[in-house]
Amino acid sequence: MTMSVSAQELQTIRLSQVCKSYGDYPVLKDIDAQVTRGEVVVICGPSGSGKSTLIRTINRLEEINSGSITLDGQNIHAAMRAKELNALRSRIGFVFQNFNLFPHLSVVENVSMSPIRVKGVAPDVAKDKALKLLDRVGLADKARAYPGQLSGGQQQRVAIARALAMEPPVMLFDEPTSALDPEMVGEVLAVMKSLASEGMTMLCVTHEMGFARDVADRVWFIDAGQILEMATPEDFFNNPSHPRAQRFLADLRH
Amino acid sequence: MIHDMIAIVRDYWLLLLIGQYPNGPLGGLANTLILSALSIALAFPVSILFALARLSKSPLLRWPVTALVYFTRGVPLLMLILWSYFLVPLLTGADVPSFVTMLTTLVVYQSAFLSEVVRAGIVALGPGQMDAGRALGHGYLGAMRFIILPQALYNMIPSIISTFVSTIKDTTLGYVINVPDLTFAASQVNNQLLTQPFQVFLILAIVYFAICWTLTYFANRLERSITRRRAGLSNLPSAALVAPSKIISEQL
Amino acid sequence: MSGFDLSAILGNPEYTAMLLHGIEMTFIIYAGSWSMAMALALLLLALRLSPFRFGDPLVAAYVSYHRNVPTLVQLMLWYFGIFTLMPSGVAEWLAVHNAEAIFAVIGLGLCQAAYFSEDLRSGVRSVSPGQMQAARALGHGYVSAMRFVIMPQGVRNALPPLINHSVSLFKNSSLAVVIGASELTHAVKEIENLSFRTFEIYLIGTVLYLFFSLVIMSIGAYLSMRTDPARSARA
Repeated sequence: MTMSVSAQELQTIRLSQVCKSYGDYPVLKDIDAQVTRGEVVVICGPSGSGKSTLIRTINRLEEINSGSITLDGQNIHAAMRAKELNALRSRIGFVFQNFNLFPHLSVVENVSMSPIRVKGVAPDVAKDKALKLLDRVGLADKARAYPGQLSGGQQQRVAIARALAMEPPVMLFDEPTSALDPEMVGEVLAVMKSLASEGMTMLCVTHEMGFARDVADRVWFIDAGQILEMATPEDFFNNPSHPRAQRFLADLRH
Repeated sequence: MIHDMIAIVRDYWLLLLIGQYPNGPLGGLANTLILSALSIALAFPVSILFALARLSKSPLLRWPVTALVYFTRGVPLLMLILWSYFLVPLLTGADVPSFVTMLTTLVVYQSAFLSEVVRAGIVALGPGQMDAGRALGHGYLGAMRFIILPQALYNMIPSIISTFVSTIKDTTLGYVINVPDLTFAASQVNNQLLTQPFQVFLILAIVYFAICWTLTYFANRLERSITRRRAGLSNLPSAALVAPSKIISEQL
Repeated sequence: MSGFDLSAILGNPEYTAMLLHGIEMTFIIYAGSWSMAMALALLLLALRLSPFRFGDPLVAAYVSYHRNVPTLVQLMLWYFGIFTLMPSGVAEWLAVHNAEAIFAVIGLGLCQAAYFSEDLRSGVRSVSPGQMQAARALGHGYVSAMRFVIMPQGVRNALPPLINHSVSLFKNSSLAVVIGASELTHAVKEIENLSFRTFEIYLIGTVLYLFFSLVIMSIGAYLSMRTDPARSARA
C-alpha cells in the first residue's frame, strides 16, 4: 500500500463540465463529477433523464460536445488515433442492458476472444482465465454452450465475465437487470455485489434501489441532463434534498 | 461513339419500337411489353390457384403443384422454352407462333415463382385471421376470398411489380425461338449494320435498363408506402420500417 | 418415328460424349463465374463499407446496372460488342482459347457479383447494432470487430439468398448457348438435330439440370444447417 497518494491519482474517472446535445436538444448539461478508485456509484433518475447517455460517454460510445472526461488523467474524448482509443476502451469494462453476447461464439469463446485478438494474450492462457471467470460468475458448466441456449440472467453473467476478462480497472453497467425477468435479477446483482466487495471501481445505471442501498458508496440523481443530487445512499433514500429527487423516490414507492 | 449511337436510334427507332409491323407481326419494344404484361396478367390468377393448392389439406392438390414449383425452380428457363417449343404445337396440333409459345412458358414459369410469394404472404398473416373468419361463420373459400387474399395480395403488389420487371428480362430468352421482341429487333439492326455491334447492344442495354429501373423505383416507393400504412395499422416498431426492402429481382 | 427409346441416346457413344462435354463445359462456366462473383462481391462490400466517399454510390450503380439489364443482353454486349472492340492481338488469343466460355464466365460472374454483394450487404445489415457496440466496448478496432464479430454473423444470415442465387447462376449458365458456348443446352440441341429424338434428349437434359440444381441446393442446406443448430436452444 502506498503511503501518500496525490488526490489526482485517486480519482479514477473525472467528468468536467460535460455537455452533450442532439442537434438543438440538450441531453447532458454541465456534468461535474468524479469516481474515485474502489468506489461504487449508482446513477438513478427518471427515464429520459440522460443517465444511459451519460454512462455511454465515459467509454466514448457517445461523443460529447464540450467538457472533458478523464480516466486516470487521460482524456477520453481528446483527438487520438484509433489504436489509442481502442486501448483506452479495453481498460473500461462495459455491461449492456441487452447483454450483446456474440451468438456465433460459445460462452468460453465469448469471454476469451477479445483478450486474444485485442490484447494479444496467448490462446491457452486466455481460455484458462475465461474458465476461471466463468466459474466466478457461477457458469463454469456452461462454457461450451452457446448464448442462445442460456437464460437472460445467465447471458448477463457471461457478459460480465466477458468484460472482466479484459482486466479493466473500472466497470460500467448500463441498466444491467432492466431486460431480465424478475426472478433472474438476483443472480446478476449477486455477481455485481461480489465484484464491489472485492474493491472494483463501478459505475452503475440501475433502478435496483436495494442494490444501491446495500452496495453503493454514493448515489447520483440525474434528471433532464443534470446531476441534481450526489449523496450517500442513506442520505439519499431517507432524506433527499432536491424536490425532483423526492418526487422520484415517491414514484418508485407508489 | 455517342454520335454513332444517336444515328442508329434515329434511323432504326421504328424497327426497335414495333418490329416489322405492318409488314409482319408486331415486334420490338411494343411486343416485349405486351408479352410481359400479358404473362403477368395470366400468371397472377394461376399463381393464386397454385398457392391455394399448396396450402390445401388434400395431397392430391398439394403434391402435383409442389412438384411443378420445384421443377420450374430447378430447370433453366431456356430448357423450359425448348420444351414448350416442342410440346405446344404437338399438343394443340396447330402451327403456333413463337409469341404464344413464349407466353405459355412465361405464364407457367412466373406463376410458379409468384405462387411462392402468394403462399408466403398468406402464411405471414398468421392463423388468427382464418380463425376469426371461421368463427364468424365463413367457409374456407369465403374466408380466403373476403379476408385473407385481399390482405395478402395488397401486400404483394410490390412483388408483382418486381415480377413484372423479371418477366421483361425473361422475355429476352425468346431470342432462341425467334420471338420478334426488342432483343430480336436489335439483332436485326446489328445484322444490317454489321460494323457497330457494340453500339447496337449498348443501346439495347440502355433501353432495358431505363424501363426496369423506372419500374423498380416505383415498386420500391409503393412498398415503402404500403409498409408505412401497415405499421400504422398494427403499431409495428419503427425498426421494421427501416428494414431493407426485399424486392425479389433475382431469377435472371 | 419409333416410340420412346432412351437407349437411342444413352447407348450411343457419340451422343454421350457430347453430353459429357456439355456437362464439363457447364461446370467450368459455373465454377469460373461463381468464384469470380463471390470474390468480386466481397470486394464490392468492402468498398461499400469503406470510408472512401465514392465507394457506396459506385457500387450502387454497379449493382443497379447488373440487376436491371437482362443477363442475356449483358452476355451479348460482352461477346458481340466488347469482343469486337478488343485489340487484334487479344481478340485472336481469346478466339483460340474458347472465347465463348471466357466471355460467359466474365459476363455471368460480373452480373452475379451484384446479386451476391447485395445478399452479403443485407446479411451484414441484419446483425444487430449492439454487436458492434459490444465489440468496440471491449476495445476491438473497426476491422477487428468486422472480422471476428460482424462478418461471421453476416455471412451466416446471408446464406439462404446466397444459396438461391447460386442455384440461379447454375441455371443461367445455359444462357451461354446463345453466345455459342458448347455447354449442356448446346449439347442437347445438337443431339436433337442429329437424332430427331426430341423428347428423349430434352428429358435427359432436364433431369441432368434438375439433378445438379438439387445437389447445389443440398450443399447449401447442409451448410445452413451446420452453422445454425448450435445456436438454437437445445438445453
